[in-house]
Amino acid sequence: MAEQPSEGKPPAAPKPQPPAKPPAAMATTPWEDELVRDLREKFADQITEFSVYLGQKFLIARPEAVPAIIEYLKLEAGFDYLVDVTAVDYPERPERFELVYILYSFARNERIRIKTRIAEGVRPASVVRIHPTANWLEREVYDMFGIEFDGHPDLRRILLPEDWSGHPLRKDTSILDMDNRWVREHLGIESGQ
Amino acid sequence: MPDGTFLDATELVLNMGPQHPSTHGVLRVILKLDGEKVIGTECVIGYLHRGIEKIAENRTYAQFAPYVDRMDYVAAVSNGLGYCLAVEKLLGVEVPPRAQAVRVILTELNRIASHLIWLGTHALDVGAITPLFYCMREREEILNIFEKYCGARLTTHAFRIGGLQYETYDTFEEDVRAFCDMFLPRVDEYEELLTGNRIWIGRLRNVGILNAEDCKAYGVTGPLLRAAGVKWDLRKAQPYSGYEQYDFEIPTGTNGDSYDRYLVRIQEMRQSVRIIRQALDGLPGGPIMGKVPKVIKPPVGEVYVSIEAPKGELGYYIVSDGSTQPYRVRVRPPSFVNLQALDKMCRGALVADVVVVIGTIDIVLGEVDR
Amino acid sequence: MRKLLRKIFLIDLIEGLWVTFRYQQPKYIYTEQYPAQRPKIAERFRGAPRLNINPETGETLCIACNLCALACPENLIVVGSERDEKTRRKVLTTFTYDISRCMFCGLCEDACPVDALELTQDFELASYSREGAIWDRQMLEEGPRPTKYPW
Repeated sequence: MAEQPSEGKPPAAPKPQPPAKPPAAMATTPWEDELVRDLREKFADQITEFSVYLGQKFLIARPEAVPAIIEYLKLEAGFDYLVDVTAVDYPERPERFELVYILYSFARNERIRIKTRIAEGVRPASVVRIHPTANWLEREVYDMFGIEFDGHPDLRRILLPEDWSGHPLRKDTSILDMDNRWVREHLGIESGQ
Repeated sequence: MPDGTFLDATELVLNMGPQHPSTHGVLRVILKLDGEKVIGTECVIGYLHRGIEKIAENRTYAQFAPYVDRMDYVAAVSNGLGYCLAVEKLLGVEVPPRAQAVRVILTELNRIASHLIWLGTHALDVGAITPLFYCMREREEILNIFEKYCGARLTTHAFRIGGLQYETYDTFEEDVRAFCDMFLPRVDEYEELLTGNRIWIGRLRNVGILNAEDCKAYGVTGPLLRAAGVKWDLRKAQPYSGYEQYDFEIPTGTNGDSYDRYLVRIQEMRQSVRIIRQALDGLPGGPIMGKVPKVIKPPVGEVYVSIEAPKGELGYYIVSDGSTQPYRVRVRPPSFVNLQALDKMCRGALVADVVVVIGTIDIVLGEVDR
Repeated sequence: MRKLLRKIFLIDLIEGLWVTFRYQQPKYIYTEQYPAQRPKIAERFRGAPRLNINPETGETLCIACNLCALACPENLIVVGSERDEKTRRKVLTTFTYDISRCMFCGLCEDACPVDALELTQDFELASYSREGAIWDRQMLEEGPRPTKYPW
């Protein structure tokens, strides 16, 4: 794999190193406009942060408020297209998963992200009822991260086979381990990777 | 159309795929039938899942670039462009104008190649065998240009983060111009074969209708959305790589059926030629590589960049933790999301129409499963 | 009468077949007689790897810097080197390239600072065993050895 230390002399080129300092924060700027005012008014302390990074707007909300925010944005603000639902795993955080919803508005030609942090075992509410497209996207998140969505009509694995164990995109799943296990089980030898 | 069977007829469950010639790869569709009528479908996907997103977490930014070509292998150049744009945005790298123009030319050529593959295979599914040969003949010319430019025909790895690796070859401009001149009459030829063809119209018109509201609800983008009458194209809505300089139309349909999608794609090929010609006319000189650090190490942050791939909106959501490897790469594949609307489009149709609908979505299973 | 003659002499059939036979003209023939006739390969084609040697001295150009191995997404290059005590420089000892995992992305070629590693126009990479797909330094320098058949 990529991090495998190469034999011989230390090379002078891209060598993956863990960041020396504890993870630096994202250099964001606050996001202020009419939409933010409306959302503040409506959801008050449910939304903890409004930020802009590289010209891309996002907000961080409490997980239980997310469906309501998405519904509000769809009906009142014209964000009628759910682009993507995905998650990021930070195993060292107490709330390990970050769910990301990307929304787009055809009328405003604007894209925003809604992020929420959830701990393992928490079941966030599904948004399929608001955006049917979330069906497969949430299934994929479930498949890859093991986040179970409450109220999803058909929560099964989508890309991986039904009898797969584990959730591959979690950070504690290593490709190397998976590979070694497979080789041991199916070929009866050590893979030697 | 009720979701049940007629009177006391028994419901038949039929497996289509994963080795069915018209599912365009390893798509398995479980059809619930009432006689010849489809009363429900279910897609079983994942046969081609290679864990691209997991691979990305174990590669450096530059190393991951060849892998994205393996998603939508029919439009590998578009995939590469989206990924490079995302990392460039994260890094804050400016791409020189010449590199941008060459990128546009290659991406548009790739769009034509992708639409040609679609047209050929779709026509083959419907029963017209000749367009396939014609389309492959023209696609061959495009692939020859790719081969001469970057050394590979299909999984090109044509772009690098920050610009281009290869300068255009000596006869690049002549080759592309010759292709454009040759290609437009050929499009007329396809239209002659298909547009007024009664069988073609009979099989496509009013099949797989998806109106604008449904498109938005299901997140369907690309030619499907445009065929439903929504004039939306990311190249216009949020221009990238210098698309704002070029003058082109967004073709739209009215009914949102398979026939309109066919017309939209045909028009898009013509528009692509228009863009290519403009880009060639104004091809600037200068460097082809921006100022990219030797070790690509973006600051902590995240970015979502999407482009208009031939199939729809292709997005990359990249989270960086400040190291040389991406912390998370999420690909928002157009085919995957568009395929979800299959059920909606197929309900109440005939079994034979399922083939048409699968064809008209223009899926590439490498991208659906990643 | 004319109609009858047309029928007897199969004029319609010949007319129809003319379209087909027109493509028999040598300039329309696309088929390549492959092993006898070599296809035209683009100059930048990325095929079989080669380790270039200095044509005059026969020495390798590789400086064993290991950059190609680091650039490779599949980690299929292994560079072995040792330090020459006299010149204090690294000298290449072994070089292994696993063709079976290569996707010919060209990143190793781009990374090479001395143009020693190069992906050539050679595209015939088949071998009878998996071991045959792992190329050593000699094979990389001389090119693949064609199989000798007993007949």
